[in-house]
Amino acid sequence: MRFMMLMIPKGYESAAPDTMPSAEAVTAMMKYNESLKKAGVLLALDGLHPPSTGARVTFEDGKPHVTDGPFAEVKEVLGGYWMIQVRSREEAIEWAKRCPASANETIEIRQVQELADFPPDVQKAAAGLTEMQPDNRRAS
Amino acid sequence: MRFMIIIKATPNSEAGAMPDQKLLEEMGKFNEELVAAGVMLAGEGLHPSSKGTRVRFSGDKRMVMDGPFAETKELIAGFWIWQCKSKEEAIEWVKRCPGSSNEEGEIEIRQIFELDDFGSELTPELRASEERLRTELESRQS
Repeated sequence: MRFMMLMIPKGYESAAPDTMPSAEAVTAMMKYNESLKKAGVLLALDGLHPPSTGARVTFEDGKPHVTDGPFAEVKEVLGGYWMIQVRSREEAIEWAKRCPASANETIEIRQVQELADFPPDVQKAAAGLTEMQPDNRRAS
Repeated sequence: MRFMIIIKATPNSEAGAMPDQKLLEEMGKFNEELVAAGVMLAGEGLHPSSKGTRVRFSGDKRMVMDGPFAETKELIAGFWIWQCKSKEEAIEWVKRCPGSSNEEGEIEIRQIFELDDFGSELTPELRASEERLRTELESRQS
């Protein structure tokens, strides 16, 4: 089963555009990332620039509307993610608990949809999606 | 430049509703265009937050809370990872994303950190370990 571990760092919603993690934070996180890789569960991972550098697109009245970040009144934003492949939700939770995260951080664990999770007509319509993606991110 | 294109949750996605045939076909065509343009790197849907969990950290303590989670609009229903020349190009692609005709969707565009983005905080040793990790991940075959 594949899961996303979504890092939600409190305060990142108002971080300046050039905000960067410290060497200490990166070192601690790299140890964790290596442990995920050694265990054979790590599929992918990325960090995201703060929302002050991002944009949002909404589709009211059928037309796209673009808003540049930062986004007012937003309480939670994504700071980064890991994608892991494990045997169960419980195992994914155990990995999340081992993350060297700080008190202002939350990790949300969400199961990735596999084609087989969908009813037959949806599977048929979505056929080919798996092949559009690189091998290393797919379930194995 | 790489971007994470975040598809925000809606009451429908949180309820586990399936997209209709028309939207599926439009999405399939859109994905094919992204692939043909060399933009598509990855794309996944996530099960609703009712099947999710959150972990909070306080020193050595870990607090585990099961979903669903409130603030639907701040939740993630799915994402793409795209390779684009600029944020403007990513925005242009997002504007063409097929939307569901029966409700409002929101898509967030966030640039992904590359090693070159980091300043001197990223020591040569850290940079080397990051590069090694990435190379090993990319060479992993399914």
